[in-house]
Amino acid sequence: MAPRLEVRSLVKEYPGVRALEGVDFEVQPGEVHCLLGPNGAGKSTLIKCVSGVVEPTAGEILLDGEPLPVGDPSASLRRGVATIYQELDLVEELTVAQSVFLAHEPRRGPFLDLDRMRGDAAKLLARLGHERIDPRTKIKELRPAARQVVSIARALSHDVRLLIMDEPSAILDDGEIETLFEVVRRLAADGVAVIYISHRLDEIRRIGDRVTVLSDGRSVATGLPAETPTEQLVELMVGRAVEQLYPERRNGAGTEDVMLEVRNLRGLPMVRGVSLQVRAGEVVGLGGLVGSGRTELLRLIYGLDTPDEGEVLVGGRRLPPGKAGRAIAAGLGLAPEDRKSQGLLLEWSQTKNVSLADLGRFQRGLLNVRAERAAVREHLSRLKTVPADGERVVRELSGGNQQKVVLARWLLHHCRVLLLDEPTRGVDVATKAELYRVIADLAAAGVAVLVVSSELGELIGICDRILVMREGALVFEVDGDRASERELLQHAVAPIESADLIEEVR
Amino acid sequence: MTTSSPESDRTASPSEAMTERRVAGFHLQEYALVIVVILLFVAGAILKPDSFPTWDNVRNMLTQASVVGVLAIGMTFVIATAGIDLSVGSMVAAAGMFGGILVDPEGSTLLFIAGAIFFATLLGSVNAIAIAYGRVVPFIATLAMFSIARGIALLLNDKLPVGLLDLNGGSFGDPGAFSLLWFGTGRIFGIPVSVYVFLGIVIAGWVVLNRTRYGRFVVAVGGNREAARIAGVPVRRTILSVYVLSGFLAGISAVLLCARLGSASPVSGNLYELDAIGAVVIGGTSLAGGRATIGGTFLGVLTFALIFSLMTQMDLSTEVQQVVKGAIVLGAVLLQRPEARL
Repeated sequence: MAPRLEVRSLVKEYPGVRALEGVDFEVQPGEVHCLLGPNGAGKSTLIKCVSGVVEPTAGEILLDGEPLPVGDPSASLRRGVATIYQELDLVEELTVAQSVFLAHEPRRGPFLDLDRMRGDAAKLLARLGHERIDPRTKIKELRPAARQVVSIARALSHDVRLLIMDEPSAILDDGEIETLFEVVRRLAADGVAVIYISHRLDEIRRIGDRVTVLSDGRSVATGLPAETPTEQLVELMVGRAVEQLYPERRNGAGTEDVMLEVRNLRGLPMVRGVSLQVRAGEVVGLGGLVGSGRTELLRLIYGLDTPDEGEVLVGGRRLPPGKAGRAIAAGLGLAPEDRKSQGLLLEWSQTKNVSLADLGRFQRGLLNVRAERAAVREHLSRLKTVPADGERVVRELSGGNQQKVVLARWLLHHCRVLLLDEPTRGVDVATKAELYRVIADLAAAGVAVLVVSSELGELIGICDRILVMREGALVFEVDGDRASERELLQHAVAPIESADLIEEVR
Repeated sequence: MTTSSPESDRTASPSEAMTERRVAGFHLQEYALVIVVILLFVAGAILKPDSFPTWDNVRNMLTQASVVGVLAIGMTFVIATAGIDLSVGSMVAAAGMFGGILVDPEGSTLLFIAGAIFFATLLGSVNAIAIAYGRVVPFIATLAMFSIARGIALLLNDKLPVGLLDLNGGSFGDPGAFSLLWFGTGRIFGIPVSVYVFLGIVIAGWVVLNRTRYGRFVVAVGGNREAARIAGVPVRRTILSVYVLSGFLAGISAVLLCARLGSASPVSGNLYELDAIGAVVIGGTSLAGGRATIGGTFLGVLTFALIFSLMTQMDLSTEVQQVVKGAIVLGAVLLQRPEARL
């Protein structure tokens, strides 16, 4: 039997850049095939070629032994190739049901069959274990994780033979990932072939059957068993071994000075009375499920939203509520959850992005552009940003380097409290290690760091103390060197297990 | 998903690297506009060799261009924040009329200027508050002001214009320095005073936009409001300020216009908003915000002035000119689409 998908020596050239320089791999029906590679290895280009969004320069793509029309996304979709992209492409104003059936709405005669649309959408969501999402909700009211679920439901609404998932777990927390895996396993059992892209190496063994590794636009290893040791995969990806992912743990980190203090902060409905302290030099992690109120808590602390009650103190001084400008002046910095839409001006140069929070120090009457560039260059090179050319437009950088630009902004500002929301999302493993080192260095220099992350291993690896949030309140606290993923997850999930819901659907 | 860029942290060769300048394309666009301006002038010189390339005509063109040019600088700031100000033409008329009735039957040049600028700034502030604090969409808020200001201009003197020649002893005569008419018809080293005013505002606008923190904030707010806020930019105050600025500059524009005509008219300034927006867009400032160029706006103003001077000399009617004007603005916006950009 022909493989479900066969890619033969695929090449894609852009003006000046060869994104793919010969990729071979195949996916069998019912297989979950993981695609691994650092940012820029060509993974996104490869799946765009398969889904028809991008026309390859040379090479062949066969679906069930027959050539797939190139550069025609709707033809690919008709043949049963569905893709869930890294950047979710949902329309905010549409409802869930409308999004699931966008452009192939069920009809009765010339009219939309709204009842069937809602009913079918509900069924698809239930199949994903998320029947709590109401098909009539608008997309803009959903958190990123729920949007991801809607995207998957949309892919399922087509008669899918090959499902491509580009980092579906990047915005999910560990509890939801297990739900997602359950769905993927069931699709595979139905004979659907799945291409699964992720930066999280531990996921490969949990979900994958085989692995193909891309590096610099080539497939450097193809069809390896999922049990391949992690070190070997990392070496293939980066061409060298990453010596150590997490920095050395320091003993007795943090001083006695409480740098950030939060007292009974409430911002209903998401944050229901949170008190915490972060000492200078300490890295405190904030774990919990997506939607447990972690991002909202950071926004309240930073003054982007106004709390209903409670106060925030920096270095012992109370911040006025809901004033981000004052919080920044007091030494706070925030690297937001979504770098592209909240952290950066994508069309601006690195220099301007870095200096934006601290332009005052370059202004003596007029802005001293030369001093600005020099100061920024120093910080960019300290963070090993690639490229170090401060005039490069931020849109062009990889996720990891974009995150470094955000961090450089707060380094330049000499911030005393740094709030990081999912700082390594969508970042490859080598850059992750660099970011962890930067965080450790900042803490060593006396900055108080509060990190939100859905990767429990990451929290344990870099935090001196970990807090777990559930339904808007802190429910657990543990020292980083004593924490276990299992324990954190237990405290993060609500007493009512969502796994039961999956059972019902079966 | 229509993005077609490869994953982008592959180290492209330096020549492929896009710096901000290249991607924004406005340096390129500015060079192109310089060529357009030169070509238009050459075309005029060939088509109308007797009347077009004369010092008189150039002077005339520049004087007329200054009135809209001042508005276009304010409009550049507004559009940089991803806003729009449709009320500038009406504000020019209302400001002129307000200044006019202040000095009618008697008053001083200074009172006229102060009155006109004050009133336009006031109207601009109404726009600003409605948009920044009332969260009215700029298009609607300034469309309302477009109507309100025009109505006020007509009400102030019962639809009649106000003569301002008394400020110059009753006739155009020879305007003394710093008299009102001097701003419209006076010259220094053969160049009209209004042109100096315009150039001064162009330079000030460039410096503020490119060499001050405030200017950076203006463009940041237009580029990504949420990211600007998280970086500590006072978003609301910044938005507020650009509409006040636009009103203030409409006041200056009104002074230049009335000084040239020797009167304030309630029907003046008609469609100036289109001229100003057109000049800004031709210059390369993005209607989506986040990218602004004063140099481009300046060249856009010159381009418009040359085209209309040429058409007037070719005896094309104002109706034809209006069609051409609209078509140019539409074309410029079409060229601004992301796919059409370099």
